Amino acid sequence: MNKNVDKTGLDLSRWRQVPTMLIVFGLASVGLGFLVQPPEPIRQFAFSWLLSFMFFLGLCAGALFLVMAHHLFDAGWSVPMRRFLEHIAALFFPWVFVLFIPIALMAKPVIYPWMTMTSPDHALHAKHPLFTIPGFYIVSVACLLTWWWLSNRLRYWSVRQDETGTAEPTYKMRFYSCLGIFLFAVTLTLAVIMWMKALQHQWFSTMYGVYYFAGSVWITLGTTYVITLVLQRRGLISEVLHNHQFYFLGSLLFAFTVFYAYIAFSQYFIIWNANVPEETFWYVLREKGTWWWVSMVIIFGHFFLPFLALLRIDVKSIFPLMVPLCAWTWLMHFLDLSFNIMPVLHPSGFVLHWMDIGCWAFMAGLLAKAFLRNFASTAPYPIKDPRLVEAMGLAHPVPTQISGGELDETDEIPAVHPQIHGGRL
Amino acid sequence: MNKLNAYGIVAEFRTSADILHAAERVRDAGFRKWDVFTPFPVHGMDRAMGLRNSKVGWFAFLGGVVGYTTGMLMIWFMNAFDYPLVVGGKPMFSPFFAFPPSYELTILFGAFGSLFGMLFLNRLPRLHHPLLKNRRFALVTHDRFFLVIESADPKYSETETRILLEQVGSRHIEVVEE
Repeated sequence: MNKNVDKTGLDLSRWRQVPTMLIVFGLASVGLGFLVQPPEPIRQFAFSWLLSFMFFLGLCAGALFLVMAHHLFDAGWSVPMRRFLEHIAALFFPWVFVLFIPIALMAKPVIYPWMTMTSPDHALHAKHPLFTIPGFYIVSVACLLTWWWLSNRLRYWSVRQDETGTAEPTYKMRFYSCLGIFLFAVTLTLAVIMWMKALQHQWFSTMYGVYYFAGSVWITLGTTYVITLVLQRRGLISEVLHNHQFYFLGSLLFAFTVFYAYIAFSQYFIIWNANVPEETFWYVLREKGTWWWVSMVIIFGHFFLPFLALLRIDVKSIFPLMVPLCAWTWLMHFLDLSFNIMPVLHPSGFVLHWMDIGCWAFMAGLLAKAFLRNFASTAPYPIKDPRLVEAMGLAHPVPTQISGGELDETDEIPAVHPQIHGGRL
Repeated sequence: MNKLNAYGIVAEFRTSADILHAAERVRDAGFRKWDVFTPFPVHGMDRAMGLRNSKVGWFAFLGGVVGYTTGMLMIWFMNAFDYPLVVGGKPMFSPFFAFPPSYELTILFGAFGSLFGMLFLNRLPRLHHPLLKNRRFALVTHDRFFLVIESADPKYSETETRILLEQVGSRHIEVVEE
């Protein structure tokens, strides 16, 4: 029916050129970063790239998680947001693969000191065979392939349901989610250990994977909130939204604010209380110089500010407060990842290098471009999902709280159903 | 005339839809001291009655703040001030080890705040209520719906309020004495 390739008609008007501008700006900043001659330009570039890579990896992983969680809970309210989350998750292939190539190339010569140790110390020896060069590449490729497979299958069946309208894709997506959530937990933990924690391989913390996961889903929820708002304002999903979606997204953002703080505090508290030098050195390094102040900003900005801001029930639906808060989550998560990665490179204190900004802008632009192209290739939301009617707050065949939506927000079913893109309700 | 000391006027309805629409009309008429009694929760009633979000959250919040402060002060007082005690080479007081107990007191006092705040806002416990004297009111636990406008409401008038309740579709209206 649609002659146009763009099936959604998303009109970004004056924002349309932003991704391209980000790419150009990013490349220019990286170039500038090399020109101003940092002490170790390649090393600075490698760390900046790793930082931004982990940032956007978290966004894709968070989107994959939210899609799987949607199916695992058999949720109704989150159907309108599921499609663009599937598209974000689908950025794993080929884009996250491509963005990983520089890390794979620079891993041994530049980034991970354990790879070039001539005589393995006890910590490295204890982590054999995971911490060997074949171990690193096997784990990396296995993680990336797993995420590709899951995100690809989940989107494939979701798009297929747009055409067929049958129940089969729903069951398929549930199958991939049930299997996927376990694979996801294992692979994300492994990836974060290999790519981020291995910068200081002597250190160990069993909470590190969850720590990264909590922060990543946190920014994904902030991003989801803003994208939902944009799509609603542009009229792409407004006909299937009810007023509870923003409230629920805000509540989840609030929940993950607390969850992140709980994990971050627990990790610190256990290490502080045990007071074993093998563990404490990681935090000692991060209390030196301006890193101390970064840690304070994380405590107050990553937790207390959003926690207190989101505490009131009505804030979650007040857009002028929520949109800056969602942008704030990006800033805080970037700082949190800097706190985890950068003290290895800059032990004396926090440095915001041109290359940090450049790598981030480049990846943001590239992924935004890819996302917009993916998004335009399908309907803006799963048009024939059986639970779409619940998301619209029209009817609850089974009146339980978990079937989606506060029951007292349910409207009566109108005599004539609104027709949605030719789909039947 | 020997007027009885009225508690309010009670109107009976047969269906949840009737009372929901009646509540909307009473809300729009600007009454403040009134309530609705139903055998089961009626969805949309909060909105129909124009009820705001409950204030219980503030009691829970205050309880939580008090709990957290109590925990921190208690541990500081016992371990660092009243009887300084070195444990495992740690400082006499640190917010880190004081956090888990303080956090649990936050939850406990927060729960107290919400429970007792709820009782306080509902003016409970209360051993008797004028409506219990009304014999038909017992049907509220069975299949009838009641709307009560108290005589303490500034807009209350025995004749006009009765007319309003008749207009909104009540079949049976009575004045209940204090």
